[in-house]
This record gives sequence, C-alpha cells and structure tokens, in this order.
Amino acid sequence: MKGGTHLKPALLMVGCYIFFKFGMPLFTAPLPASLIMLYLMLTFSGIMIFMTLSGTSMESFLGPIFRFISGDGQEGTMKTARLAVLALFPLLVGWQTYTSTASSTVPPAENRTVHPAPPGEFVGLSNPVPNTPENVMQGKGLFAAFCSPCHGNFDGKGPASKGFSPPPANFVDPGTIAQLQESYVFWRIQKGGVGLSVEGMPWKSAMPRWEFELKDEQIWKIIMGEYDGAGQKPRTWE
Amino acid sequence: MRMNQVAMWCLGLVAGVAFTAGMSAPDILWAQESVAIRAMLVKTVPDDPTAAAWSSAVPARFPLSPQVHWPTRILEVTAKDVTARGLSDGKQVAIMLEYEDPTEDPDDAAAVEFMVGDKKAHFAHGQPMAQVEGGPVNIWFWKNKNAKAFDMNAKGFGTLKVQDQQDLKGKGVYQDGKWKVVFSRAVTTGDANDTQFKPGEFINIAFAVWDGKKDPASGDLKEKGSQKAVSSWWYFRVDPQPDYTSYFYALLAIGLAAGFEFVVIRKLRKGPAA
Repeated sequence: MKGGTHLKPALLMVGCYIFFKFGMPLFTAPLPASLIMLYLMLTFSGIMIFMTLSGTSMESFLGPIFRFISGDGQEGTMKTARLAVLALFPLLVGWQTYTSTASSTVPPAENRTVHPAPPGEFVGLSNPVPNTPENVMQGKGLFAAFCSPCHGNFDGKGPASKGFSPPPANFVDPGTIAQLQESYVFWRIQKGGVGLSVEGMPWKSAMPRWEFELKDEQIWKIIMGEYDGAGQKPRTWE
Repeated sequence: MRMNQVAMWCLGLVAGVAFTAGMSAPDILWAQESVAIRAMLVKTVPDDPTAAAWSSAVPARFPLSPQVHWPTRILEVTAKDVTARGLSDGKQVAIMLEYEDPTEDPDDAAAVEFMVGDKKAHFAHGQPMAQVEGGPVNIWFWKNKNAKAFDMNAKGFGTLKVQDQQDLKGKGVYQDGKWKVVFSRAVTTGDANDTQFKPGEFINIAFAVWDGKKDPASGDLKEKGSQKAVSSWWYFRVDPQPDYTSYFYALLAIGLAAGFEFVVIRKLRKGPAA
C-alpha cells in the first residue's frame, strides 16, 4: 500500500476546506457552511471518480479501506480503530440528524444587504453644487447640526449612536462612503431608513428621511462636507 | 464487480450524509443578531414584576438611543439600556422590562413593539416605506399614572391608535432607582390588530422608554411623545413545548447507519458472488 494513495486525497480535502473556510473570505463574503459542504462534496466526488478510473487504481485506493472495514485478519490497534470507526459513524449520523431536526434557539440569520441598489432616478446623479471651500464649509456646518448626533465627527460615534443596530455609518472607514458614488449618498440622506428596499430588511436604519427637512442643495453640501471631513473621495466610474 | 458495487454503496452513503449535512447545517458564518429574548416555559405566568418566577427567566440587555428618526427629536435620554425577560405557560406570555430611572414620576412610561400580519415594518413606529409597502406595528404601552397597559397600533408617527379590543395587562413597580414593568397577554388573541405568537418562531421586537420627569420651572416633561429612548428591532420567541421527536429521528438514523454498516461488512466478508 502506497501512503500517497490516501494521503494526497486527504490533504486535498483538508486544503480545500481551509481555502473555502478561511481563504475565500479574504476576497469575498464568508461562504455559508452549506455551500462549503457542497464544494467539499463535489471535490470528494471528483477524487472518487479519479481514483476509480482503472481497476488497479481502484484496488489500491479502495482495497485497504474495504479490508479495514471488513476486519479480516485484524488484531491489536487496527482492530480497536476499526471498532471505534464503526461505533462513531452511526453516532455521527445520529448527531447530525438531531441537530438538523431539533428546534433552534438561535435567531434567524439576517442577510441584510448593506448597500442595496438605489431607485433608478438616483443612479448617475451628479452633485450640482460647486465644490468650493465655502460650500464645503457650509456642508460641514449642516453636518454638525443635523448628522453629528449619530455620525459624530464623521466616525459614526455620535452621542446618540449607541443604541442603534446597525450602528450609524463610520465615514472614515474606507468601506462606507469611499465605496459609493455621491448620487448613492444623496439617495440615502434624502430618503433615509424608510427608503430602503426589500433587500435592506429588516428595516432597522434610524436614518431620518431628510427630504422633509432639508433642501436638495443642503443635502449636496452635506455630502461634500462629509467626504472632506472624513478624508475620503466619492467613487467614480472613470 | 464486488469492488464496484461496494464502492458505489460507499460513495452513495458519503454523498448522502454530506448532502444532508450540507442542507441542514446552520449558516453560522453569516452575520446574525445573536441576542434574543425567549419567553421560557413555566407553570404559571406571573403578571407581577416582583414574582419569584422572573428569576428563572434568562435576561437579555438591549441598548437604547434617543429617538432621532422623526421630529420632534430628542438628543439625550435617561435610560441607556433595557433588560428584558420573557415567560410563557403555553397560553399566556409575559415580557418584563427593567431599566434605570433615577426618579419615579407619574409620566414614566415604557413600551414594547411588534410587527403585525405578514408585512414587515420599519422599527420606528412602522413608518411608511418609500419604495415598498410596509406593515403596521402593535405597540404595548404602559404609563405609571394610568396603572395599566394599552394595546395600540401605528403605521408611522402620528398614527398611534388605542385598539377597541384590549387584550393586554400591564403592571409597573419602582424600586431602588429601577422600573420593572410587566406586559402580559394571551399567546394568541384572534384579533387581527394584535401580534400573534407562534411558539418556537422568532419575531422582531423593539422597546421604548420615557422618563416622565417634570421640569420644576417650565413644567415640561423631560421625555414625552416621540421624545423617548428607543431600540432597533431585536428578536423574541415564545419557547415551544418540549418536543422529543428529534431524539426519535436521531435514534432511527443511528439504527439505519448501523444496519448499513452491517450489510456492507457482510457483503465484504462474503466475497464475490459465485
């Protein structure tokens, strides 16, 4: 029996698991456990197909496994190991069945889309207010008056922020307004939490619907002040 | 042939187990609100905040913020958080809120909010959504000077309405700088304006608290109406009656797996068919 016959497939499975579980989140959102399991199942199927392409490879791969399971001529440690495997397998199946059918005490997962698509009329809007130092300054003043209670000093840590979940956006974080176009930010300020679509459920955003209290020009100035104060630039397609 | 057959058996078994595991595994990697209130099962649901039964309920604490979503806003509130507990006997459900308030005032008040019906609602009084149609909310409101709770509905600020059919009881006790307020109601009421609880099912819940302290000079209340401490949506469920079917399914699965092992081993030992 060649050690590599089983070691390589085992290492491949472990490597794939580590990649799906810990590697993928470096590039994209963490994969759900069900998807990881599906990928591992496909990998395992591929290994099985490859290892059973010929009679020789099948015998070298499955032969030792079957001899282990049947227990022919086993003694000592191997015999104990076999009994342990035979006992553990039904218990594992039973445990899996129990956990999948028992009532969960954990609240359902919230697959809330943080930045849902804006309505069509907001796509591609450009800021009509000239980006002058005076307008930026006015924007910062409006931000201080209307936004800072929650968004603080552009860091999302205003005095009124602590009870809200999700917390008010931290504009200094490169993952917030730096990823968004000005038109998107305009939509979020104008329509607020009640402007969210179905993808934004559950509707927990406390963002006010500022269109009832602020003019469009004031909102555009706030956006300029926001980017400047947070040291960020709006996303553009150029 | 024997090798092929057994190989297919094994492949089928492993694929089946993996598929079952994959389909049923909880998606623990996704962000989720892990804090929830559970109305735990007891023999009798107390409507008194000082009842000993509350000590058996697991408390969950939720932060509160000033209500800033809608005018008239408030930027600083007295209560910074609220601790909630739940109990149920299968027919009645009770929720107790506990929070700090330095003074006992006639206008001190507390509320619990749920969604009603199939439509989702915004946490702020079920404010109308701009893009989609949201639903109303059911609000349980207690005020110290009324010495009782009111069953209400709203679909946005300024639409609060006391229901014609009152199914709710409420009682508050002030002690050592803390309010303990209990709301209790039947698990199901048959009133379409009420939230109906399905044991075992998580639903959204939100809280509000008012410090009704009166300014001695102006006579104004510190917090009133939309000026209050609020929370976002969290989760609540009434615990279901114990269900032992999962144990039965697990035992059945163990038996099937052991039987499968027996057949495979027997086949392997028997050798190729003549």
